[in-house]
Amino acid sequence: MDMFAKIAWVIPLLPLASFLILTALGRSYRTAGVWIGSIGSLGAFVMSLLVLLERLKPNPVDYSNGFDWITIGDYTLTIGYEVTNLTSLMLVIVTLVGFLVNVYSAGYMKEDERITVFYGYVSLFTFSMLGLVLSDNLLSFYLFWELVGVCSFLLIGFWYARPAAKAAAKKAFIVTRIGDAGLFLAILLLFWYMPEHALGFTMIESVFDNQGGTITEGITTLIALLIFLGAVGKSGQFPLHVWLPDAMEGPTPISALIHAATMVAAGVFLVARTFDIFEASEAAMQTVAYVGAFTAIFAATIALAQNDLKRVLAYSTVSQLGYMMLALGLGSLAGGIFHLFTHAFFKALLFLAAGSVIHAAHTQDVREMGGLGSRMKTTAWTFAIGALALSGIPPLSGFWSKDLILAVALEENLLLFAVALAAAFCTALYMTRLFVLVFLGKPKQAEERTAGAKESPAVMTIPLIVLAALAVAAGFVETPWNGWFGHWLTDGAGEAHGSAIAIVCSVAVGVLGVLAGWAIWGRERGAGEAAATLAGRAPGLVRLAERKYYIDEAYEAVFVRGLRGIGAVLEAFDRYVVGGAVKLAGLAANAAGRLALRLQNGQVQTYSLAAVLGIIVIVLAVIGRRMLS
Amino acid sequence: MPGETLFEPLRWSDIGIMAPELVLGAWFVLLVVLDLLLPGRASRRSWIGGLTLAGLLGAGVLVLLRMIDMNGSEPAEVISLLGDSYRIDDFGSLLKLFVLAGTAVVVLLGLGTAERDSAITDKGEYFYLLLPAAMGAMMMASSGNLITLYIGLELLSITSYVLAGLRRKSLLSAEATFKYVITGGVSSAFILFGMSYLYGVTGSVQLDAIREALPAAVASYEAFVYVGFGCMLAGFAVKIAAAPFHAWSLDVYQGAPTPVAAFLAVVSKGAALAMVLRILFSTVLFAGVGGSVIGTALKDDILFAVLLVAAISMLLGTLAALRQKNVKRLLALSGVANAGYLLVPIGAGVTMTHSNNVTELIFYLVAYLLMTLGAFAVLTVVGRSVGHDELKGFAGMYYRAPWTAAAMTALVLSLAGLPVSAGFFGKLFILLGAANGKYYWIVAVMVLSSVISYYFYFGLVRQMFMRSGDGMLSERERLSVSEYESLDESGSARGRTQAESVIGELAAGVEDGGPGGQPDPAYGAGTAAADLEGRPDGTVRVPVPTGIVIWACAILTLALGIFPQPLVAVIDSVFSILTDFVPMDR
Repeated sequence: MDMFAKIAWVIPLLPLASFLILTALGRSYRTAGVWIGSIGSLGAFVMSLLVLLERLKPNPVDYSNGFDWITIGDYTLTIGYEVTNLTSLMLVIVTLVGFLVNVYSAGYMKEDERITVFYGYVSLFTFSMLGLVLSDNLLSFYLFWELVGVCSFLLIGFWYARPAAKAAAKKAFIVTRIGDAGLFLAILLLFWYMPEHALGFTMIESVFDNQGGTITEGITTLIALLIFLGAVGKSGQFPLHVWLPDAMEGPTPISALIHAATMVAAGVFLVARTFDIFEASEAAMQTVAYVGAFTAIFAATIALAQNDLKRVLAYSTVSQLGYMMLALGLGSLAGGIFHLFTHAFFKALLFLAAGSVIHAAHTQDVREMGGLGSRMKTTAWTFAIGALALSGIPPLSGFWSKDLILAVALEENLLLFAVALAAAFCTALYMTRLFVLVFLGKPKQAEERTAGAKESPAVMTIPLIVLAALAVAAGFVETPWNGWFGHWLTDGAGEAHGSAIAIVCSVAVGVLGVLAGWAIWGRERGAGEAAATLAGRAPGLVRLAERKYYIDEAYEAVFVRGLRGIGAVLEAFDRYVVGGAVKLAGLAANAAGRLALRLQNGQVQTYSLAAVLGIIVIVLAVIGRRMLS
Repeated sequence: MPGETLFEPLRWSDIGIMAPELVLGAWFVLLVVLDLLLPGRASRRSWIGGLTLAGLLGAGVLVLLRMIDMNGSEPAEVISLLGDSYRIDDFGSLLKLFVLAGTAVVVLLGLGTAERDSAITDKGEYFYLLLPAAMGAMMMASSGNLITLYIGLELLSITSYVLAGLRRKSLLSAEATFKYVITGGVSSAFILFGMSYLYGVTGSVQLDAIREALPAAVASYEAFVYVGFGCMLAGFAVKIAAAPFHAWSLDVYQGAPTPVAAFLAVVSKGAALAMVLRILFSTVLFAGVGGSVIGTALKDDILFAVLLVAAISMLLGTLAALRQKNVKRLLALSGVANAGYLLVPIGAGVTMTHSNNVTELIFYLVAYLLMTLGAFAVLTVVGRSVGHDELKGFAGMYYRAPWTAAAMTALVLSLAGLPVSAGFFGKLFILLGAANGKYYWIVAVMVLSSVISYYFYFGLVRQMFMRSGDGMLSERERLSVSEYESLDESGSARGRTQAESVIGELAAGVEDGGPGGQPDPAYGAGTAAADLEGRPDGTVRVPVPTGIVIWACAILTLALGIFPQPLVAVIDSVFSILTDFVPMDR
């Protein structure tokens, strides 16, 4: 029956094995990394696919298994894994994108000195992400959550010789830590309030499912908001989105794997996994929806004015994650996860295609590109498919998932529906801009550099083609007249949200966005002029978007400087008061140590004397204790 | 009934029951004879090490088989021989496995070092003397009677004296042995003296009989009972190197070959600790049974004294280690502090709310075995590579031998008691146990000493990762070391040189005849590692047996740090305080 679900625990162990082997091998075997990393992730993918296929049969039963980790007194901490429809879907997404990125990196990272280390990190990341997906309780989930954070840190800073990469890695780690602290507090609260301190997802579901249970409304809202804070950090939602664009300093395959398809989606996954807590609190749901919607439009406008190819895609990721949150906040689990599913493929595709471009053109600035379409046919076509999918042009996958979210928003909240439509329009606009600037027109300056640009090798283009196929096809699992996906994911609770208005609006803004983009950038075929035109029409707005609404500057001014100020005061206190006390304790310990060593003078007579003195002390203490009691 | 069966002699069928010990004894005799009769240089005797290992493993298999057999029935049976003076129970069997495993690891360490240590003249003895030592420890584990206990203890002690002095060409080793013999002899005398008082007031040397007679005895001869237990405790405290009776251990570990130091730190200490547990838990713990007020007071006082010794050990051990620059002496002090941790579950006693002290003790003993033997194993390779045992030798280890440095980091993590290591859970279980028994002051001492200990444990890590250099001593330092023998800031030389002046004269002839007429570097640095073939050049070479030890210890330490439950479950399922400590006619 559940044969594959029973051995699902093997899936994360395969990439872990790859990681261990690669670490043991060291840097000397350059091709080993490619093979071992790819085989590990391929094995994990095949097994995940089998688990998923097994669950496609009618009425699959959730399977969970585990063992008692430690027993302390009455409290037993269990550790285990759980296979549900949601987790099996995530398994396939993670392992599929992971495998394709492994293959792709064989070409992209070929020249790199530390390619084996790179593959080791990627395998470690895949392991952590799969562990996170399979965790059956919040505590082990949190452990893996931190572990993926560490892997992300290592991979963003992979080229640590570049100061920007180092700074970006640090920023990513610190900013997400703020969210992690929220999640940790949520776990502590849950531990405190849950019956028998249970932290298992199944227990959480059953406790929060029946409203008015043991946990009060206020605490529920608090827990939900703290969990959401964790998700905001990890999934780059406003206001903790600032790390994600900077994270583009990492190698491009990493941007595709971690910062587009998998890890950043972990926040969405977390909310989906603890969805019952959110459903129990109206306020929390509202917060999720509004933060998501705001992030979606906010990041989309920034993406319009960025000139770095990867940064545009990064802001686009932030924006699309906002969409997913919006769907979850509106109560549509299926909508959020469906968009996560389609987005994983087309955004990974876009990043990998962008990597292919960067690989060929040796620049990330779109203003320096142009005319690459004729030289890199596969890349251009696959990028176009990804861009259209992202823009929500039917019948590509992005259209269906975006349409579902829009239909839900139309039913629930007209304001959010309008915001989502506007964000969809911006999305189509900036993707068109990107495509036109990169692939069409004449090659721009630095002729001799882009002149040598040619199509990337097959190891890089084949993953693109596979992902492009998925970007086309993945959407058909859920259409307005076929609610199969939602039905499957939520055990029959979900239904198809067919809405003619939503479809019309969705198609209209998508097409309008593309046309408008073509009108602005396509005619002139010159980025400089186009930017100038746009800037000429609305200079202030463009500048605002270009500078990312000055969020980083504001953080610098308010938090970094402010914290530094507080830090200076605290430091003074620390140095003179705490430091003094510590120093005193240290000196005391040191002095005691000296005294203890004095005993160690090599003479047996002294040793005996110490023993006798010790006996006297012990006897006196025993007598003293007896007299007292 | 003990009284009736007291003089029932051993039957032939009992040989099967005592087989593990007898195998070790017979194997020992065989190896002695082989070593004497077979030709060849006495310095090439690795095969004896191999055979010793085989003997230990064989005995281990026998113990294991017996244990499985005994746990077949429910409740687990206890076999007792000679009127319960020799008893096979689960506590004893677990301990025997501990002793055999520890000794086997020490043999592996010896295989990695003895061959190259020119100060050891008889390589054969080095290995096969471990057999009677292990046998003594096993006898202690199986004793239900003070006499058997004492004989086992002496068998272990006397062989240990010889083992500690095996580096016959080294002055430091001779001095260490001398001190060890004196201190060990005094402690044995104390134990015997205490036992005689106990026999005097209870009229028996059987632990069972003592337990039964104790409430009456304490009512009429309270002071004698106190003297008896007090002297025994003091004597055992010397054996387990608990402060303030620990001072010998630093000198002895430094002078003894490193693997022997590891044996003393782990096997001797573990066996003696287990004895303290067995004696106290079979006698004093029940002194108050039947509502005897004086008996209850006796129990409280003795257990309190044990906790006091534990507290002093933890604090003194960690504080003294803060300024210690020699790694062997550092490990000795770490052993002192760990003896303190290990005494806590004994001193906490068994109450209704807290009854799994033995599990806590054995779990931490296993953790202690892994981390201490692993650390000593690393020390043998590092010491050999740089020619001394100073902390400086670890400088830049990460760059010279990254894998060994990584393993050492795992072991140090465990010694410091940080998570994902066996030491963490070992300390946590003991801590929670003590808190459960409401001994909050000892919990505070444990936490405090753990925090202090981070300083010097991380000093080791800092040396390995953040200091560059090959760990060699400069010429000037070498001179100063040769003058003072040790870098102790307190100037331990003063006392040491006195001893030298006596023995030094005698040893001088031997010393001058060091390899190649050169001044023996061992004399200077005073380490086991120094007088090895060739000049040390800072390159770390890990012999295969040592490598096995390092990695087995490091991996098991981490494995227990991630999954402590299986071991806890095994100990819990096997051991029961009622069947193992209070058997027979209860």
